[in-house]
Amino acid sequence: MIFDKLESRQLITLGADGILVRGTYHEVPRAATGSTSADKKIGVLFLNPLSTPRTLIGDSAVYWASSFAAQGYPSLRIDMPGLGDSYGEVAKDLVTFINNGGFAALVASKVKEFSDRFGLAGVVIYGHCAGGTTAIYAASKCTNCKGLIITDPYFNAANMLTPKLSPGMVDWARRTTVGEVLRAAYARIREARKKRGNGKLPGNANVTLVAHWKQLAASGLPILIFKSGEPAALGSSKLRAGAFDYLEHIASFAGQRSRLSLRTIEGTNHSFADRLGRAAIREHAEAWLHKHFPAAAVTAAQENIFCELRLTSVDLSVRQDESLRSL
Amino acid sequence: MFQSTPVQQYPESVITECAGYFPVPGAHLYTVLHEVEAPRARVLLVGSFASERHTSYRPWVQWARYLAARRIEVLRFDYRGVGESTGAFKEMSFHSWIDDVERLSTWLRKREGDAPLILHGLEMGALLAAKGFHKGEADALLLWSAPLNANQVLRSTLQRWIGPQQLLKREEDRRPPSHYFRQLDAGQSVEVDGYEWTPDLWRESRCFELPDTMVPPNDPAVSYKRPVRIVPLGKSAAPLVLGGLLNGFEESKDFSWIFAPNHEWIASSLHIPLEAA
Repeated sequence: MIFDKLESRQLITLGADGILVRGTYHEVPRAATGSTSADKKIGVLFLNPLSTPRTLIGDSAVYWASSFAAQGYPSLRIDMPGLGDSYGEVAKDLVTFINNGGFAALVASKVKEFSDRFGLAGVVIYGHCAGGTTAIYAASKCTNCKGLIITDPYFNAANMLTPKLSPGMVDWARRTTVGEVLRAAYARIREARKKRGNGKLPGNANVTLVAHWKQLAASGLPILIFKSGEPAALGSSKLRAGAFDYLEHIASFAGQRSRLSLRTIEGTNHSFADRLGRAAIREHAEAWLHKHFPAAAVTAAQENIFCELRLTSVDLSVRQDESLRSL
Repeated sequence: MFQSTPVQQYPESVITECAGYFPVPGAHLYTVLHEVEAPRARVLLVGSFASERHTSYRPWVQWARYLAARRIEVLRFDYRGVGESTGAFKEMSFHSWIDDVERLSTWLRKREGDAPLILHGLEMGALLAAKGFHKGEADALLLWSAPLNANQVLRSTLQRWIGPQQLLKREEDRRPPSHYFRQLDAGQSVEVDGYEWTPDLWRESRCFELPDTMVPPNDPAVSYKRPVRIVPLGKSAAPLVLGGLLNGFEESKDFSWIFAPNHEWIASSLHIPLEAA
């Protein structure tokens, strides 16, 4: 006998928009939630990054989703079309596709479906690395998104970083630890050179993505960012000091409404899959969820405030886009 | 704007894919049945080790769909304590994973409609599939990148993992792979890629071997009098198997050069018609 549901997990397919996306839903245990049954809960939607399936590396997403559900936040992990268990074509250059917001409309639609299907008050999107890029683009498109948890975001455009390298080399640099170190070193050098110039965004920045970040930060949307520590191989040289601080740049545009929180977890790696990374994310993310979405529910008043701020910030972001383009 | 296949244009075999949880002692296995009407044959896919699961996943699923589209029913699954299956990895052993293979092959064989059963293993899964076949679990055996023993897989996994980890650590904290091998030998657990390797798993891996009858120069087809095919896969097969430094990151990679000849072998060795998709 094969079941599609266990006591705390359920295998589901989202397909209301005609695109089938497979996922695993982690239910809130009846005894664990502090909210009453009448409360509408906030859900957490995990996006898979690139080709890594929805469990994420070391099955860390299973751990986090189970933990969040146990804290009163029902969680759903999904595979993007063409990846994991979801059927579909995959873009030839997946990194660039994602960097250009290729999955945004789909994720916005799935956020709404998740919310409607389980009667949620809203959804926090959890995105790791490239999944974080998709989360940023998607959050700008949907009112059901009430917050973001992003781990190890990046802000540069792969094709602008290394225009002379083969796509295979660019891909490798994006996805491996060795590539990560080389990329970080290269970016520092470029950024440091740029800083000596006019102090604006580095030339390899993904300007559209940064504009979406600013828009969301200015809207007051709660955003929790986790960063893994810098690779020690970079040393404590000037390379570190030369790094352009994108998050500071974004926060400086966001003003007082900004609810960006940043946690750097030293001693873990990019996947956060080790014991230290897992525990730190779990602890800080749960505290953050309880702070911004207490008792796993939002009131109608809070919901209206988020929508209002988001709409106001769209105009702001357009102006910022224009000023960025004029640099 | 994202463009994807509207649901009405999905292949029938994709719509009928059925994910579920299969109960085993102390856990539930995540399974996906690529269900086929009146199948010509059935295949149990026994995948790679935990650390390689995320890289090999997409081509593994593509292979399952390739077969299902050709009227070969496929069951794929996650081992106990790995991926979507429940259970704690650190409590698992090769014997619990062999038990997974045996239980699922029994279940698959009992499905309605008589069809030959093939066990197909990849890397670590090749050892498990080979053990199951050795016990008489299936009508044919297909192995991709079969190692000689499980310890070989664990060693190469740890070596691949430790290299990049060194870059994240200060010089004084860096340790060579032999340091971790010694730790395991001394009875301490080591965490690799988010999985806790226990000394028991390490010890067991040393004697978890490919049956002698499958080790060259022996001809397993002669020994078993059932079809057996052992295919070594090189780096060009990445990310199905781990590639070199620059291989294995193409999601849209076409694997038909591996899929087509293996499908042809299944059809010819089991005397079933070679179905087109």
